[in-house]
Amino acid sequence: MKTSDIGIRRLLQVSSALVILGLLLEIVSLLWFHPLSFVLFAFIATGLIALGILVYLVSLVFVATPPDRVPKSQ
Amino acid sequence: MIAILISQIVLSIVLASIFLIRPSLTRGTAWKILAFIGLCVLPALCIVGGMNTHIQRSEQTQFCISCHVMIPYGQSLYIDDASHIPAQHFQNHRVPADMACYSCHADYGIYGPLYDKVQGLRRIYLQFVSTPPDPASIRIQGGFKNAQCLHCHLGARDFGENPVHAAMMDSLKSNQTSCLTSGCHDTAHDVANLGHEKFWKAAQ
Repeated sequence: MKTSDIGIRRLLQVSSALVILGLLLEIVSLLWFHPLSFVLFAFIATGLIALGILVYLVSLVFVATPPDRVPKSQ
Repeated sequence: MIAILISQIVLSIVLASIFLIRPSLTRGTAWKILAFIGLCVLPALCIVGGMNTHIQRSEQTQFCISCHVMIPYGQSLYIDDASHIPAQHFQNHRVPADMACYSCHADYGIYGPLYDKVQGLRRIYLQFVSTPPDPASIRIQGGFKNAQCLHCHLGARDFGENPVHAAMMDSLKSNQTSCLTSGCHDTAHDVANLGHEKFWKAAQ
């Protein structure tokens, strides 16, 4: 297993964890009828989800191997 | 509507959980597409849906009066006296009862909704971090603008045909004469004297 594979998997796990945490907080904010629920959603849940998406997009950069590094087929 | 959004969130959580437990699945093309949907598209849609729901919720009367300092203002909507402008509008459904505060206090300008949200966040800060103001001392920054009244009343027959309104229409439109503080409709949210008022009980 290549080192970059481990890195990609770790990034995917971090991304998934952030997205899950953010979405769980979004559910809490939707079920909680209180002015602070907007703050919880807008600043914490949205921040975590956006960070999760960003980490996922960063992991895609690792997947895209530059053309000069693609091994030639025999 | 919230049920649909929560279903979408749960679906996103399920998909994200798969990649949390088995990230190696993304070697296959189909799983790569699923990862893109589960970790990028659906969460982004959940943010949009959540924002929409929260903004709609923040326009509700119940939301506005859920802050402690706003409770007397909510009570003032039930004063049994037609000279109290907010109570008269609320009780006769001249504004939607479930959006009574927003209907009269929203800024109807192009950046109004954004300005209102920033003001709302400032009030949340005052309520939960700083010192909440005394309800009776709360004043609208810059005063109540006629544009908020005219948003509904301008063009209405009983408003336009009223000789007093007709005579000062330009002055009302330019905000030179205030609907509220020029002595015509000057009783609004008299929270300092709530103890002396009679209240209307809405039929269930």
